[in-house]
Amino acid sequence: MKKSMIFSVIFLFFVGLFAVSPLLYAQSAIKVGIVDTYTGPATTFTMDVLDGFKLAVNKINAKGGVLGKKIEYATRDEKFKPDIGLAMAKELVLKEKVDILMGTINSATTLAISDFVRKEKIPFFVTFAKSDKIIGEKGHKYIFNMNENTAMAGKAAAIALSKKPYVKYWIAGDDYEYGHAIADGVWNNLKKMKPQVQKVGESWWKVGEADFTPYITQILAAKPDFIIVATGGSGMVNFQKAAKATGLSQKIPFYQHTAVELSVVKPQGQNAPEGVYGTANYFFYYPDTPANKAFVEEFKKAYNREPRIGALSGYMTAQFIAEGYKKAGKIDTEALIKALEGMSLDSPVGPLAIRACDHQLELPMYFGVTKKNPKYDFLVAGDIQVIQAKDYMPTCEEVKKLRK
Amino acid sequence: MDSIYAIVSPGVLSQIFVGLSRTTILFIVASGLSLILGVLRIPNVAHGSLYMIGAFAAYTVTKVFGGGSTGFWMALIIAPLIVALVSLIAERGMFQFLYEREHLMLLLLTFAFSLVFGDLVKLVWGGEYKSVPVPHIFQGFVPLFGGLPFPRYNIFLLVAGPVVAILLWLLTNKTKIGKIARAAAVDREMVGAVGINVSWVFAIVFVIGCFLAGLGGVLVAPTVSVTLGMDHNLIMEAFLIVIMGGLGNIWGALLGALIFGITQSLGILVWPQFGIIFPYLAVVIVLLFRPTGLLKSTW
Repeated sequence: MKKSMIFSVIFLFFVGLFAVSPLLYAQSAIKVGIVDTYTGPATTFTMDVLDGFKLAVNKINAKGGVLGKKIEYATRDEKFKPDIGLAMAKELVLKEKVDILMGTINSATTLAISDFVRKEKIPFFVTFAKSDKIIGEKGHKYIFNMNENTAMAGKAAAIALSKKPYVKYWIAGDDYEYGHAIADGVWNNLKKMKPQVQKVGESWWKVGEADFTPYITQILAAKPDFIIVATGGSGMVNFQKAAKATGLSQKIPFYQHTAVELSVVKPQGQNAPEGVYGTANYFFYYPDTPANKAFVEEFKKAYNREPRIGALSGYMTAQFIAEGYKKAGKIDTEALIKALEGMSLDSPVGPLAIRACDHQLELPMYFGVTKKNPKYDFLVAGDIQVIQAKDYMPTCEEVKKLRK
Repeated sequence: MDSIYAIVSPGVLSQIFVGLSRTTILFIVASGLSLILGVLRIPNVAHGSLYMIGAFAAYTVTKVFGGGSTGFWMALIIAPLIVALVSLIAERGMFQFLYEREHLMLLLLTFAFSLVFGDLVKLVWGGEYKSVPVPHIFQGFVPLFGGLPFPRYNIFLLVAGPVVAILLWLLTNKTKIGKIARAAAVDREMVGAVGINVSWVFAIVFVIGCFLAGLGGVLVAPTVSVTLGMDHNLIMEAFLIVIMGGLGNIWGALLGALIFGITQSLGILVWPQFGIIFPYLAVVIVLLFRPTGLLKSTW
């Protein structure tokens, strides 16, 4: 009898602890829930988002936090599956009582969570998903897009390509939404800007295709002036290796979104093909400003590697959250959203603002070409041309029309 | 040469040979899968993971030996052995206790292994893309077939494929272990009854099969980015090839790989937008007319 009494008391004590602790948290800290893919190939990009975010949060907390509260975060691995991602977002909001959600690299997951946060009225910072529906037709008040999307990347590339002399284009890519969206983005805009361009052919391969040689020999035979290659993930490197082995890169120039990005060129070392055109929002070596250098130093010291595109979006997300609450003066969702609209912060790539009408971060886009550089043992982007956000982003009117 | 071009255009010829070189890797991996399927009756879904480990091991070995050509040749020897060691541990530690279970159980178990291996690779090598450089003498391309460029490395693959096939033939037909393995595939109990330790025969066959997966991983490494997820892309194709060729039949794997590789490269030539469907179409046609595969299945 006595024994069971003691058990009951201990049991009740722990139950009580669990019931009270989320409340204690909610009072003492700002909680951010991060849902992202931390298993499989996507980790190449998601770890940078998380590390960039952690770096900024540690700095903010060391300075006393925001309005006297520390920023805390919890991560959940959605395993690149929308149903798991949505369940985790629900768990974070309903059980962990997070104030803010952020993530993910999976567009389908992001759209599912977006639908959920609209009902729950939780701000959601999108850090890597590239679907243009997120901020376009499915966009709403609680969504903040901290990176570019396929439509924007396509338009930015089209702006740069329209100034080049090429006329006969071949389009090739991964046969899934991302591939087609990038290809359509480039091609539809290019046709508008330079009506004389013509498409001589298309080839589409399955996602994860390992050997591009048969596709390339076929494209070579058709002799186009330029190729738009809409690959993503590991296909970026696979295509570049095949382009080098077949001599394609010496014969026909081609464009891949993020072709010049560190995750693609660094693994190949000096063996990456030169002369490949690409776009990216961030390089650790460009712009060559004190702000960027300081960020790179800080990131390298913490993680012993150079920051890549995801690091910038994670780093800035944390800062926007902190500064937003500071400006709002209280921990309140509606006040935070109001404060963030139109807010501009200094970043490693210069001042960045969140556009008020659609909550899109106004990032500059860099168009460059792969080149050897004696300073590095891998290829870097050369002849960088900066395309301003206002030129490649859809206008507020266009977004409004999409959202109807 | 001109007389050949009168019959087949250089483009088609080039495409056929590109398809053949792709066949090499498919064959090496699928033959290992088929060997295990035939003798041990395990549908080893983790076979793709061992291929992936082979590629990652190739990356490390290449790097240890200076990242150049020597590195690649060392990787070609060492990396498949690393994979063989991993598979030996898995077989002795786990699979040997499960041979009597039904296939569905084994399928689930090997699937679980593929997840475990995937996470292990992430722990050991991290999530970043890795790249193994093409050895110096195989860099670049040669103008072949009417001046169309043909990668030198693919020529190497064209040679490597038949070499592996011949070695495999010698192993299964001319060595004692090969003969025992073939006998065990047909009648496991009889082999045990004549006093042969079947358990160890199975272990050796399993390791050889996985060695082939690792070898495929090393050979593919210079042409692709070595990354998590490369196992899933391959295992599907490897299974289709094995099913098309006849379960457990190594020569069926060769035939299946040939059909798969060549229909794909020729399909791209005919209809580039839908090139991906041709090998799968070939699988469907084969299975419609020969539901048990092209060659005699050991099942």
